[in-house]
Amino acid sequence: MPHSFLVIDDSKLHHQMYRLIFSRGALAGSTVHYATNGREGYGLLAAHPELTLVLLDLNMPEMNGLEVLERRRAEGLHPHIPIVLVTTEGSAEDEARGRSAGAWEYLRKPFQPADVEHLVMRALAKAEPIA
Amino acid sequence: MPVEERQIRAPLLGFADAMEARAVADTASAPGPELHLLTFVLEREEFGVPVTQVREVIRVSDITRVPQAPAHVRGVANLRGRILAVVELRSRLGLPPADLTPRSRVVVVEVRGRVLGLLVDAVRQVTKVPEASVVPAPEEVISADVDYLRGVARWQSRLIILLDLEKALLPTE
Amino acid sequence: MSVGDENPFGELLQDYVLECLPLAEQVADTFVELERRWRAGDPADELLGSLPGRLHTVKGNSAMMGLTPAQETAHALEDACGLLRRSSERRTDPAAALLITGGGLLVDLVRQASPELDPGPAARYVERVRQWMQGEGPPAADTQSERRRTDRRGGGGADKTDSVVRVDFRRLDALLEVLGEGLIQHSALAEAYRRLARRSGACEELDRLDQTILALEKTLKRLESTLMETRLLPIASVFGRFPRMLRDTAEAEGKRVRLLQSGGETPLDKAVLDRLSEPLLHLVTNAIVHGMEPPDARSLAGKPEEGTIRLDAAPHAGRVVIRVADDGRGLDEKAIRKKAEALGQELRDDEVVPLRSLIFLPGLSTAEQVSRLAGRGVGLDVVAGAIHALGGTIDVETEPGKGTAFTLSLPVTLAIIRSLIVEIDHERFALPMAHVAETVRAEPDAIREINHRGVAQWRGDLIHVADGGAVLGTAAADRAPRRFYVVMAAGGKRQALLVDRLVGHQDIVVKGLDPALGRPDVVSGTTILGDGRVACILDSVRILEGGRRAG
Ligand SMILES: [Mg+2]
Repeated sequence: MPHSFLVIDDSKLHHQMYRLIFSRGALAGSTVHYATNGREGYGLLAAHPELTLVLLDLNMPEMNGLEVLERRRAEGLHPHIPIVLVTTEGSAEDEARGRSAGAWEYLRKPFQPADVEHLVMRALAKAEPIA
Repeated sequence: MPVEERQIRAPLLGFADAMEARAVADTASAPGPELHLLTFVLEREEFGVPVTQVREVIRVSDITRVPQAPAHVRGVANLRGRILAVVELRSRLGLPPADLTPRSRVVVVEVRGRVLGLLVDAVRQVTKVPEASVVPAPEEVISADVDYLRGVARWQSRLIILLDLEKALLPTE
Repeated sequence: MSVGDENPFGELLQDYVLECLPLAEQVADTFVELERRWRAGDPADELLGSLPGRLHTVKGNSAMMGLTPAQETAHALEDACGLLRRSSERRTDPAAALLITGGGLLVDLVRQASPELDPGPAARYVERVRQWMQGEGPPAADTQSERRRTDRRGGGGADKTDSVVRVDFRRLDALLEVLGEGLIQHSALAEAYRRLARRSGACEELDRLDQTILALEKTLKRLESTLMETRLLPIASVFGRFPRMLRDTAEAEGKRVRLLQSGGETPLDKAVLDRLSEPLLHLVTNAIVHGMEPPDARSLAGKPEEGTIRLDAAPHAGRVVIRVADDGRGLDEKAIRKKAEALGQELRDDEVVPLRSLIFLPGLSTAEQVSRLAGRGVGLDVVAGAIHALGGTIDVETEPGKGTAFTLSLPVTLAIIRSLIVEIDHERFALPMAHVAETVRAEPDAIREINHRGVAQWRGDLIHVADGGAVLGTAAADRAPRRFYVVMAAGGKRQALLVDRLVGHQDIVVKGLDPALGRPDVVSGTTILGDGRVACILDSVRILEGGRRAG
């Protein structure tokens, strides 16, 4: 039961970090799609209805995270896929805007691999209770 | 291999008939102490081991063959993190080999502190038989190697061959 | 400082520099350009506007890498640029100088990308920016000394970490590997002694040799236990992460849960701890999401609205036992048995199929309705798999209405060896990397037959190429030609082994051979692979010796 993830982040370093996270433990063998800006990311989101979780950076050139969320809401694209908005020390105001734009969760940098694993588990636990 | 099968079955059925006559006589007496058995099938014969020696029954998942292991060892399996050696009971008892089927099971037993798996054709049930119904195994009617048998229980038109797990699994090492 | 707080992304330092150094340099260059433009009376709004995005990226990346001084410097510069964008009257020469200083500092910090840097210069710079932003004007700059002092801390000043040395954990791993080699050499020595003693009979010199070999063994064992102790960390380093996650999850689920912990001081090998956090986290998440009833259901059932999850660790008989217990609704045993049956598990008699052997079945879920992501869950089977791969066991007890408890038993340390996993005749085997010299694709003409033995050219020599199936006694008659060979080397001997597939490298946990398996010549142990299957560990040294036991 391989998972698949979408990472939308303008930082290649972050792509590498997620690559590390998604190659460990229970997540090993997951498929991960990468986009370096919101526009590209939105296209990948549309093309992959099977995604387990999306990690969406807030600050990006060419369509930022909030714009991705807003467009996705407006177009009703795959509302079942949980999207995590990732920011650096985002304010409560940022978080509220993200959530009202349809972000499922909020992840602040710096985060640890375990934080991402935890979000994945919660996304799955929500979707498929175990015992 | 139907011919071989009949050769083995015929004497067994004869023995069963003889036992039937005796059993009718026995049932009149009061039920004495009982044996609590898990029974399973090998080569169409029903075998029993004491439930107290059985830890659990598991499906046959991946059994890894071990190069140069004794012929009666099927291989090793992962039992929740323990490495379980699985004994090919057919081979141990001198029965012909058979392919795995969906009904194949591994009976996990504990004998003198050692945990081992027994590969069997199928598990039948947990049952109780009167100790009085057990007679020594007559060599000529049992296809399995009699050295590893404790006797035969004849009960309610069934014939259950009782295995001596210590002798079968812990040969003088 | 302990060896435990290493950044999980430490191996990406190079990538960090590659991405952030150009950004920091662009920022620093822009500051210089700003000064020029402002002096010329140009507000340079568009230049200022290009800065926050870059600084934000440097800040976030530095934070992720645990490079706090760089993170804080970028943050201060970001704030300063924000202020300058809002108020053009602050675009002065001193402001530009302050930015230029910061740009240089940031470039230095990013270029060095070291977690060991003195945090002082960055802290002082951040303070100067703070004062400037409050309108106090930039205090006299000690620019030069700030930049110089970003150099690595010298060995001088004794601080609180006096007797503690920070060691890269990989060095401890390397040390363990060296020790392993020492132990192997010791047994070779002991074996040589025995043969010698048999041949020449007792004499004083041999006695002394025997004593020395015994003493060497004791020394090696002492080294081993000291090294193992060095690798131990308190389990609190994993437990410490739970309170926050528990709070978040409980909140998201609308549950009220408190966490009680004990035994956080229990020591465990770092290698075990690293692989333990994920399965533990999963058990705790499950306890909240599925074990705990919502507050109203709890009070209806006469329980306190706030549920309790206990996380207890304790050493026990040379192992560590960890219990994750909740006082929730308990497992629905009937539903689990029903589901297991649907999965094909035959359940004729409850007495012989304990719940613990069902709950960890792949794909088991008692969810009433099939959910939208069905079939893609991380189930308890994955948790069990991770524990098993550590050489641990997991068990479950549950009582309806009272709660569920998972009990894990784990080894304190791991005997881990880096191995090459190969496939021969459809079975997987582990070959310790210590004796693997190279893997080679077996080209059709590369292997020739001389005296009925396969040989191939390898690094200018002819080496024997043996068929893996023949060595292991598994060769099938009608198989396809094998596609690779593994060159093994030990003690001056070299030989290649033909295999069907190279599966990959893996750190495996060594498990013993059950006595029922006899004493195979070519197998030294077993291990559980990531997919839960058992694989035999090949004894490369014996295979190199020709597969026959000495003596
Ligand atoms: Mg970004």
